[in-house]
Amino acid sequence: MSTNDSMPVLILNDIHKFYDRLEVLKGISMEVNKGELVTFVGPSGCGKTTLLRIIGGFTNLDSGEVILDGKKIHHLPPNLRDTRICFQNYALFPHMTVAENISYGLKIKKWKKGKIQERVEELLKLVQLEGLGGRMIDKLSGGQQQRVALARALSLEPKVLLLDEPLSNLDANLRLTMRGEIRKLQERLKITTIFVTHDQFEAMSISDRIVVMKEGVIQQVGSPIEIYERPINEFIAGFVGFVNFLAGVVDMVDIGFNKATASTPIGIIEFVPERNINVGDKVKLVVRPETINISGSEPTGITNTFQGEVEIGMYVGSLAKYTVMIKGEKFIIDQPNPRETFFKPREKVYLSIPGNIHVLKRN
Amino acid sequence: MAKAGGLYVPQSNLWERVKTFINAELVNILAVVLFLLLVIFLLYPIIAVLIKSVKDPQGLTLSYYFKFFTKGYYFRSLLNTLLLGFINTVVCLVVGFCLAYLTTRGPLGLRKPLKIVTMMPLIAPPYLFAISLIILFGHNGIMTKAFGIQWSLYGFTGVVVAQTLAFIPLAYLMIENTLRSLNPNLEESAYDLGASEVRIIRTITIPLLAPGILKAGLLVFVMTIAEFGNAAILGGRTPFLAPDTYTMIIGEADFEMGSVLSIVLIIPCIIIFFLHNYMLTGKKFTTIGGKPVASEPRKMTPFVKIPFLFISCAAGLAIVICFGMVLMASFTKILGVNNELVLTHIKNFDSNLAIYNSIKVSLVAAFIGAIIGTLLAYVIVRGKFFGRNFIEMISLSGFALPGTVIGIGYLLAFNAPPLKLTGGIMILALNCVFRFLAVGVEAGISKLHQINIEIEEASSDLGANFLTTFYKIVLPIMFPAFIAGFIYTFMTALVSLSAVVFLVSPGFELAAVRIFDRAVYGEIGNASATTMKLVVIVIFCMVILNYITKKTGFDISQKKGSVTV
Repeated sequence: MSTNDSMPVLILNDIHKFYDRLEVLKGISMEVNKGELVTFVGPSGCGKTTLLRIIGGFTNLDSGEVILDGKKIHHLPPNLRDTRICFQNYALFPHMTVAENISYGLKIKKWKKGKIQERVEELLKLVQLEGLGGRMIDKLSGGQQQRVALARALSLEPKVLLLDEPLSNLDANLRLTMRGEIRKLQERLKITTIFVTHDQFEAMSISDRIVVMKEGVIQQVGSPIEIYERPINEFIAGFVGFVNFLAGVVDMVDIGFNKATASTPIGIIEFVPERNINVGDKVKLVVRPETINISGSEPTGITNTFQGEVEIGMYVGSLAKYTVMIKGEKFIIDQPNPRETFFKPREKVYLSIPGNIHVLKRN
Repeated sequence: MAKAGGLYVPQSNLWERVKTFINAELVNILAVVLFLLLVIFLLYPIIAVLIKSVKDPQGLTLSYYFKFFTKGYYFRSLLNTLLLGFINTVVCLVVGFCLAYLTTRGPLGLRKPLKIVTMMPLIAPPYLFAISLIILFGHNGIMTKAFGIQWSLYGFTGVVVAQTLAFIPLAYLMIENTLRSLNPNLEESAYDLGASEVRIIRTITIPLLAPGILKAGLLVFVMTIAEFGNAAILGGRTPFLAPDTYTMIIGEADFEMGSVLSIVLIIPCIIIFFLHNYMLTGKKFTTIGGKPVASEPRKMTPFVKIPFLFISCAAGLAIVICFGMVLMASFTKILGVNNELVLTHIKNFDSNLAIYNSIKVSLVAAFIGAIIGTLLAYVIVRGKFFGRNFIEMISLSGFALPGTVIGIGYLLAFNAPPLKLTGGIMILALNCVFRFLAVGVEAGISKLHQINIEIEEASSDLGANFLTTFYKIVLPIMFPAFIAGFIYTFMTALVSLSAVVFLVSPGFELAAVRIFDRAVYGEIGNASATTMKLVVIVIFCMVILNYITKKTGFDISQKKGSVTV
């Protein structure tokens, strides 16, 4: 790890925001490190866009601090902050050409004509729009507009780049391409970036770290792997992919053998204890659909195997999706690469739940 | 058995076939009838004026036009009118922009009060400002006497001031509308890239608003040059086209020259109507959608805030003072001369009779106007015949035609059989119907666009014939538009002066005409009281309209005309 990685460039300190009497941000604190791409993700109304607008200076906070490079900036208007935003609708100036859009900020900073031209060319090349500087905005495709918006935001080399749902106006294929390109660009320029999205998979695939928000509160901050594999509550577990929850009570913990068991409605389940789990704890086992093994005959020597009956089976090709009932409990299973072994409704099947499942404590 | 020999064709009698025909062609039949009405009551009067202006006993002639352009007085009247329109438009746009900017971007607490004050002139006839200026700056005016101000109110500047105050809301409403629909992210992006507020306004806001501002400007221009009351009351010896037409016809009975003045006045109006409706429709900057973000109040720099606030407050203050003057004049013997509180002006019998007459005429106009407007909207949206756009254009053109021209046109067109209407109540109502048709028609059109034609088709599919469908499905849906058209026509007809001033007959006085007469004769108390009564009625109508707007989500204030007189 280089020293840069752990140096916070942006610090949010206990930010509160009210709209009328409604508190939309309830004490947001976090740090963004230099060169990092952090995603704010959450269902609509969770406050992620408001938080981004507060960082950019478009919305006033009611209490708290925004610190950029060691200086408090939350009292400054947007034009005096070293952050640049890309709005969801790009907000390109429709009465200007691509080059005029990109050079808008440079002209305000009173750059020399020649230097502006140089910089515009450089930026156009960066976003792969060489030769389109003279185009009017409405003559561009959605993806091209997105690139212009990026180039414009990057023109003044901001310390932090703010992207508000930048891909939501593109069609599905283009979204995937642009997602990759934004990430590539960000890594190349090593620019600190905050990316707001409501799409958890977009967040998973692009981020260094993800900030999951709900109702104005940060639920969890972590790398995509941490968020997916070790969610700290049910909301997050369910937010980043489908999950089977299985309620149970811990009835044995053996630290020496790194083994624990819990009794659940479908029987005893053996698992690897992650944290300080004690006997008698009420827990929820987080079982992802793709981790469950499904087979037609009883596998030998595998623990946590239960017999059930297929309720619904959907063959998708690359995988098969099942709903299987075990003792009245419903399980969703993704069977990767099913080939010829596709189980039909009412068939008896055997499900094996892996031992290294994540466990949440219940209150 | 019966069809063994071949196809069985049901034999229908003649009546059945007529019924089927009517049922299938009702929309087209309706269209023809409405078209004829538009031709008779809107096009024919204008053509009558045109013919009058080029005809003399020997045949066709252009001598009257020659006289117009060679005789200094007439030509000066044209120049004055255009200059008035130009100055007025510029001032209204500047003030309108400042107000609109403050009420959409400015401090939250200021937005509502400023908006209310700005909209106040909408509830009053424009000539209210002429009256209040007389109270303040006339020969016996309060300011004239108190401070010895020697401002010659009667003349060009007086008219400009009165007209500006009267038409600020029109400019404001249209600019505010475009300003509100401007994506706030655009200005925020410029802000983000380092621009100051002045720079944002100069490089982003105004360029993007330009089409809307231009449209507003054209409308204000047309309204200003066509407006009759203020120029007639305050014009003094300065000639303007609209009041001069009146002098020509009523004072000197010179119908030929009156017609020439009318045609000269109508030409810029028609040109602008076309510019307004057709050339500017395509010019609109579109941006990619996304969630609409409410424009959050931001700190305005003093460089913008101070001048904008100054201009806006000055305009607002002037409007409030004018209203206050007329209100006070209604309850005092002679405001500024004898400030004794009296109720004689309010109780004045003739004034109340005139109000009663106006209400009667306006109700007739509103009823006919709402029906024709609703039907026209239906025919325009649902009809499938050639010339639909033409019908739409004519029915919307009424608002662009100067009232004086319509007045003379009706006088010329309906003065002899078979359509002798002069001297009656119908001629007073009908001119209002066709001049103010635009709002009812537009309301109907936008209402109809909200409903899918498949609703009507479903009704037919279930066995209803055209009339049943229209009665059971279309009318209920269009009812809010009908009411909107009704109230709008009622309000505008009530205060309308420019056309009816030609058409009233002795012994049947309308409120607007009475106010005009009293103001000209200097009986300000009487004129003020009658004006205030009209204001009260209009406020009452506005409240009803507002209620309907809230109930149905149909916003009439965004439509064309506001109160046109």
